[in-house]
Amino acid sequence: MSTHEIRTRLRSQARDRLPGPVVERIRGRVSLRDRVRVLEAEVQENRQLNRRIAELTDVVTELLIPLDARDQDRVDEVLSRYQQGL
Amino acid sequence: MTTVVSDDGILLPAASRPFLVEIDGHYVWSLTPDRDGVRRSGGVLVPWPGVLRPFLSGRGRIRITDTTGEEVLHDAEVGLGAGEGPLAVVDAQGNRLSVDKVGHLARSFADTGEAVQQEILVGTRRALDDLREHAGVNAYLNYGALLGAIREGRMLAHDSDTDLCYLSDHTSPADIIAESYRISRAMRALGWNLLRMSGGDIKLLLPLSDGRICHIDVFVAFHVGDTFFQLGNRSGSLPRSSIEPFSTIELHGHEFPAPRDPEAMLAFLYGPHWRTPDPSFRYEDPPDGVRRLDGWLRGFRSEMGLWTGFLNGPRVTDVPRTASPFARWVEPQLGDLPVLDLGTGTGRDALWFARQGHRTGAVDFSRAGLGRVRRLARHRGLEVEAGQLILGELRSTLSLGTRLARDPHHLYARHLLGCLDDAALDQLWLLARMALRPGGGSLFLEFQAVDDQVPDTAAGTAVEPDGLVRRVDPAAVRAGIERSGGIVERITLAPGQDMFDHPDLAVCRIRAVWPAPTAPASAAPTEETR
Repeated sequence: MSTHEIRTRLRSQARDRLPGPVVERIRGRVSLRDRVRVLEAEVQENRQLNRRIAELTDVVTELLIPLDARDQDRVDEVLSRYQQGL
Repeated sequence: MTTVVSDDGILLPAASRPFLVEIDGHYVWSLTPDRDGVRRSGGVLVPWPGVLRPFLSGRGRIRITDTTGEEVLHDAEVGLGAGEGPLAVVDAQGNRLSVDKVGHLARSFADTGEAVQQEILVGTRRALDDLREHAGVNAYLNYGALLGAIREGRMLAHDSDTDLCYLSDHTSPADIIAESYRISRAMRALGWNLLRMSGGDIKLLLPLSDGRICHIDVFVAFHVGDTFFQLGNRSGSLPRSSIEPFSTIELHGHEFPAPRDPEAMLAFLYGPHWRTPDPSFRYEDPPDGVRRLDGWLRGFRSEMGLWTGFLNGPRVTDVPRTASPFARWVEPQLGDLPVLDLGTGTGRDALWFARQGHRTGAVDFSRAGLGRVRRLARHRGLEVEAGQLILGELRSTLSLGTRLARDPHHLYARHLLGCLDDAALDQLWLLARMALRPGGGSLFLEFQAVDDQVPDTAAGTAVEPDGLVRRVDPAAVRAGIERSGGIVERITLAPGQDMFDHPDLAVCRIRAVWPAPTAPASAAPTEETR
């Protein structure tokens, strides 16, 4: 019998001897670990929104006013300067 | 035991103290055996850092000492690699280089002439003044220059640049990033050439009279709740009152603003033993702090350095200089509209389009690539308008899209898709929609693809060069185009070539258009072949 098979058999014997509520608690912990992993990934996604918000804020504050004034020469100048300043 | 220097590295006694390595009297690297090495019979083998390996062919006197220079572990001539010439770690101008604390090759202060040292300090002082007077932030000297000034009254011999920091009043990362954008705009307007490294730090490029360019880092520092964050990657506990109001320190005859309590700042940066010199020091940053900073501020230039390394390295010569077969396939379809090569790389196709008489633009996120394209265009008497596009930085995408909306182009991208992450790919579709809807141009794509009839072509499988390009699923590309309002007019999956023109069994070509919203959608079916 290989080491892996011995280990699997011992684990299964140990599990059979454990009372039901303990097995459930262990399973719950595994699932909690998975949930934490997913939550961490989601938190990181949310953190990344900070840069998106900053970029949109930057575009709006730098470009919206000249666009609203409908002054084409000014729009051209502001767009060109904005791109050079990135 | 004896210390042995070989091609594998340095075998020396186990120790948790740092040691310095010199070649022919020039400092090149410092190491701490227990931290950097692996146990071998006879001691600890510390491998040579990857950045030094290209220089380790030839003969030279290698001296290994403790930081005081009193304990000498090795001092003898050694031959490494197959070379017979002298060992020298130098840049293209012959300036001596050493490995800095983040593992990059840099020119240390000790190997910099006095006049150039003064240029660095004067430039740093000018940067501080410009930041205060024109960008509205009060910055202080920090990191190695602060450590040198407080501990030794001079620049550290093994340091290579100067670092400035400013303490932001903001506590929301979005506001901190927006402030950093304003700072870079103000500094550019004053004529500073700069690189953005993240949402919270920029590098000012200071040209020196010896041909080198000194990097002056401008890092943000800020508090979120009770946690103090200081870019690079530091986080922990340091109250505002330890930083402001500033104190003043003197360095080689120049006065600089410094944190109010420099000792507290140095203990925060370098730990409680900051008074003991350790050139091999490495930061041990709290992982949760690094994770936060990565999420808030980074992600748009993860592979930029690797691409710059490729475009400046020897393998770039393996990319053919002639037009790719894809460019020859696209060219008859261009008509009168100009073409913009996205992710131009070496510029081989952009230059060829220009030679065929098409008005041609070329964009890339790598400044090294753009410099190369400009040089080649000038050399060949061609007009190619080259500029930076960072897909993944929304401002960059939006401003180019706005310009293209009024100056219609075709968009061309060969082997770009396989370099992009999901966020950058979304911005490519946004750019295509902005650029192509008003003007009626097409998007031409070629990429190494997923093909269920070809083994080992799963999505994300790394291909040349060195995994910088990954296979992409044509179905996912099509879905992305259609989700953003585009129509795939033609799609083929067939044997083709990678970026070196080596054969590849699964290469996808796509031609897509973005009809204007007011026009009825094309009912023509996609031409699909394999």
